[in-house]
Amino acid sequence: MSDAVLTLSHLRKSFGSLLATDDVSLDLRRGEVHALIGPNGAGKSTLIKQITGELRQDAGTIVFEGERIDHLDTAARARRGLARSFQVSSVIPAFTVLQNIMLAVLGAGGGVYRFVRPALRDPGLTDPARFHAEQVGLADRLTTRAAALSHGERRRLELAMALALRPRAFLLDEPMAGLGLEGARHLTTLLSDLRHQAPILLVEHDMDAVFALADRISVLVYGRIIATGTVAEIRANDAVRRSYLGEGA
Amino acid sequence: MVLFIEQALNGLQYGMMLFLMAAGLTLVFGVMGLINLAHGSLYTVGAFACAWVAAATGSFFLGLVASLVAAAAAGALVEVVVIRRLYHRDHLDQVLATFALILVFSEGTRWLFGSFPLYLTLPPLLAGAVTLPGGVQYPLFRLAIIGIGAVVALGLFFLINRTRLGIRIRAGEADREMIAALGVDIERLYTIVFALGAALAGLAGALVGTIQSVQVGMGEPVLILAFVVIIIGGIGSIKGALIGALLVGMTDVLGKALLPGLFARVMAGSDAATVGSAVASMLIYILMALVLLVRPQGLYGQRG
Amino acid sequence: MARETLLTLAIMAALLGTVIVAQMMGEGFVITLATKATIFALAGVGLNLALGYGGLVSFGHAAFFGIGGYVTGILASHAGAGTAVATLPFTLMGSNQMLGIWPMAMLAAGAAALLIGALSLRTSGVYFIMVTLAFAQMLSYFAISWPRYGGEDGLSFYVRNSFPGLNTLVPVQYFAICMALLVLALIASSVIVRSRFGLALQAARQNDQRAAAVGIRPYALRLVAFVISAMITGLAGSLYADLNRFVSPAMMSWHMSGEIMVFVILGGVGRLAGPVAGAVVFILLEHLLGGVSEYWKALLGLLLLAIVLFAPGGLIGLALRRDRHV
Repeated sequence: MSDAVLTLSHLRKSFGSLLATDDVSLDLRRGEVHALIGPNGAGKSTLIKQITGELRQDAGTIVFEGERIDHLDTAARARRGLARSFQVSSVIPAFTVLQNIMLAVLGAGGGVYRFVRPALRDPGLTDPARFHAEQVGLADRLTTRAAALSHGERRRLELAMALALRPRAFLLDEPMAGLGLEGARHLTTLLSDLRHQAPILLVEHDMDAVFALADRISVLVYGRIIATGTVAEIRANDAVRRSYLGEGA
Repeated sequence: MVLFIEQALNGLQYGMMLFLMAAGLTLVFGVMGLINLAHGSLYTVGAFACAWVAAATGSFFLGLVASLVAAAAAGALVEVVVIRRLYHRDHLDQVLATFALILVFSEGTRWLFGSFPLYLTLPPLLAGAVTLPGGVQYPLFRLAIIGIGAVVALGLFFLINRTRLGIRIRAGEADREMIAALGVDIERLYTIVFALGAALAGLAGALVGTIQSVQVGMGEPVLILAFVVIIIGGIGSIKGALIGALLVGMTDVLGKALLPGLFARVMAGSDAATVGSAVASMLIYILMALVLLVRPQGLYGQRG
Repeated sequence: MARETLLTLAIMAALLGTVIVAQMMGEGFVITLATKATIFALAGVGLNLALGYGGLVSFGHAAFFGIGGYVTGILASHAGAGTAVATLPFTLMGSNQMLGIWPMAMLAAGAAALLIGALSLRTSGVYFIMVTLAFAQMLSYFAISWPRYGGEDGLSFYVRNSFPGLNTLVPVQYFAICMALLVLALIASSVIVRSRFGLALQAARQNDQRAAAVGIRPYALRLVAFVISAMITGLAGSLYADLNRFVSPAMMSWHMSGEIMVFVILGGVGRLAGPVAGAVVFILLEHLLGGVSEYWKALLGLLLLAIVLFAPGGLIGLALRRDRHV
């Protein structure tokens, strides 16, 4: 367990009488892709939001790189290197690709309160932004507004922004959603390389991608983790087959 | 002590009047998500309608009816012509368009009625004073305003919680598309809600016009107080509007009555009374600031 | 972007040209009108930073306009009487030097904005609009009920404050001062908008959840923008007080807040020259429609309605026939 980067212990969150997160414990280890799967309404997004700080848990702890972070706000967690992508693509539509990535570089590096030098002529922002654009294959789209990008390109822009945060861990919320076959394959390759930079907690419905990428899988049903294990173990798990895979397969 | 009871009743009466204003505003916020600066203009319309009809017919009660009808009609007209186009716009557009409406309304009223204030005379039935237990003499008409406020509050709670229209209003707050899918004519619902809020504002204008005077621009200070009420009470909540209105009314009246004397007792010098009255004029805003510090969403606000 | 810069220059040139022609023809009144438009434009440039770029719909900027005005009036009236404004905690004498008054006006407006902003920014959307409106109204009531500096009647001072090397009482010279400050403010805001701070501020306006997810706290960012914005508007208030040699609670009234907002929106939200175009057109309309009917504000209201309903990009948006830019 010493190589756990992110550890959730006994997290609990309820909305009124609905228990959305019920005693969830899981960890994300160095160098792995840990997939979180489960039917719709299982509480995956609620869980992600507690990790990022958009929601506060009712009980339990979140430890990131040896320190508790559950009292910090979203911005502070992001600055520690917890990078997330959103379920619904959320880039700044009126900004260009370059500006969007620059924004992430700015957030990670600090120095927001500088008022004079034009940001677009600030190599401290533009150089890393160009680098990350290249990493995700958007180098030739730098001056395009995000609003004009295709869905797949926007996904890659999100990823570039996550990379720019110099993350110590990725939280990727359905990165494959809405991508075509080709786009999904492209992204799978990209993510597969990423895990060596920082481990990935992956929430995903696309089972092909999950089975291709994941080192470990946790299955969330009605707010509880009913199983955690390797791909083979999960495939063989009766409870999972009954409550989840069985329906789809 | 007698003075205190009298001022407390004044505060209650002021609070009830603010409630009539705030109730319409908060309903429109809650159901349509619209900020309406021109709500004060509807208050003015009510006051002028009452004064004009009362003068023409000699009947104060016909005047009151006219204030309700005129304000509701003006509200419905404005909703259909202008406001309806603003529901899907951002708040900035709503503020600007309704600010423009104020200009049109107040210049229009000035053109129709001139700049001189009109006065309303009380009907004999409501004139005079009553002696309250403890020997306090209090104007009957102010008691009547308190009574009307209480009746309207009860009526609104009943309307929202017990009637079909209320169910629709609550559903509309929760989910506009859902209610449209249920086959409710949402456009008509919005017009009705807006006209209802306008009628309440018009009633408030007529009642206050009877105590003070009826003139152009009378609705504006009241509008801002109604905003303070809503900020304190929480957006969209009738209960919040009632509690907020009573708090603001009491604080303002009692503060203005008591603070100058209090300051004079604590502070030496001739400035004490003016400092006291200057602080009293800011008291409700200080109250608002405190609420913002503790509960930014207001006492009964839903958004956390 | 280039077209917008050209348009900005053209509007400024038109304003300047009007004054030069008026000076040659000896039309002092026109110069005063142009000065008023310039000052209103400056107030709008301040608001535009918060409203256009920060997305903060402040309906309380008259408070800062009025504070700038009152600081100027109070300092000037004490200088005239030769008395101290305050003796505790340190002696503060009055002043009739613009170069000393401006920083004080801006500081006072900034300090008020820090307090008001810190509270108001705890809310958002409709609440923010109402809260800023209410706080401005509070200051206006305070000015009315505080008799020391004129209360409801306002405060007059008889000599315009002075500026080294110029005679500020000559209309064209005073116009030059105001124009120079407007140009400086336009340059400053265009620099700020393009800086790191500007990038983050505009990101937070469009998607504050996104900004937080990359580690940027919208609250502090908006508070700083709000304070800078208030300082510029406060400076405009100081100039306006000097123009009229008079300040009154009307400078803080919510009509004034509404009008400053109208300058910005009439011209075009988030456009550099928007407030300039808006203020010039507003003054023109006031002058022209005022000649048609004493109820000219009703016509202004109808025009404003038409712009909100049918030309959401404002005048500059119409001129450029393009959607509102970043």
